[in-house]
Amino acid sequence: MTPLARYYMAPTKSSPEIDFDPETHSLRIMGESYPENCARFYEPMFQWLRDYLSASGDRPLRLEMEIVYFNSSSSKTFMDLFDLLDAAAGKGKPVSVQWRYHPENETAFECGEEFQEDVRHMSFALEEKPD
Amino acid sequence: MLSFYESMNREGVVLYFNGPISQSVVEGVGDMMRRKMEFEQNGMQLARKVFSVLVEQMQNIICYSRDTCSPELGDECIGTGQIMVGRSDDQFYVACGNAVRRDREDRIRERLDTVNRMSRDELKAYYKEQRRLGPDQESCGAGLGFIEMARKASRPLQYRFDPIDESTSFFAVKVHI
Repeated sequence: MTPLARYYMAPTKSSPEIDFDPETHSLRIMGESYPENCARFYEPMFQWLRDYLSASGDRPLRLEMEIVYFNSSSSKTFMDLFDLLDAAAGKGKPVSVQWRYHPENETAFECGEEFQEDVRHMSFALEEKPD
Repeated sequence: MLSFYESMNREGVVLYFNGPISQSVVEGVGDMMRRKMEFEQNGMQLARKVFSVLVEQMQNIICYSRDTCSPELGDECIGTGQIMVGRSDDQFYVACGNAVRRDREDRIRERLDTVNRMSRDELKAYYKEQRRLGPDQESCGAGLGFIEMARKASRPLQYRFDPIDESTSFFAVKVHI
């Protein structure tokens, strides 16, 4: 089986930078998220992630997220993402999520809290990130 | 144009747009409004709420036009409608209006009435529940738009339908931030 290639998407005005590195087991999603068709935009990322999860065994995975704004469709997509990772954590894979927010962005903090409340197995930390 | 301009100013309208709305309009108009509000020292929190409701409303308008475009073929969907951001009694509101098929009216009413009956905590629980359930077939996003708007609003969402012809109504909704 060919090793999984790094997954990278450059940011646009309404979609975040996505950088998943299978060698370091680190994933990053940063920016804004309100693409026209959320499900379609994120589908390749989920495809990559499912392949990665089936190939990476119980190696620890770290996801950093720093989202300035996301629309309601993205909220659903992120919940799907956390559910997928949480399920892997439930099967024994160490997964940690860092949800970063700017101190003045109260909404981003609250949204992070609401995701945190809805996951069970993985670690989900809220981190204030100054300028 | 001048009388229109003056009456808009008198009524505290900060932004008015009527015409075709695509994703690039959502990005351009949304971002411009957010920057303008941040620049005018309205507070980041308020600027973000207005931006958020504006994006949900504009994307809804695009959504109602889905019947006439094929996003899976790479089409950019273009909706048609009005959007307005204004200020009354020192409070901002975001409103939009667009044509919808009359057979969708009951479903939209039901959704709006549901969120309007809920408290903050109920809205939060409902939002989380719907986020996990996924959209019904009538929705084209995640079906969370009205809940999101209600969570940003300081009053119940105001809405009305006016018949245009036998198959179409004009739908308007106003969100007080």
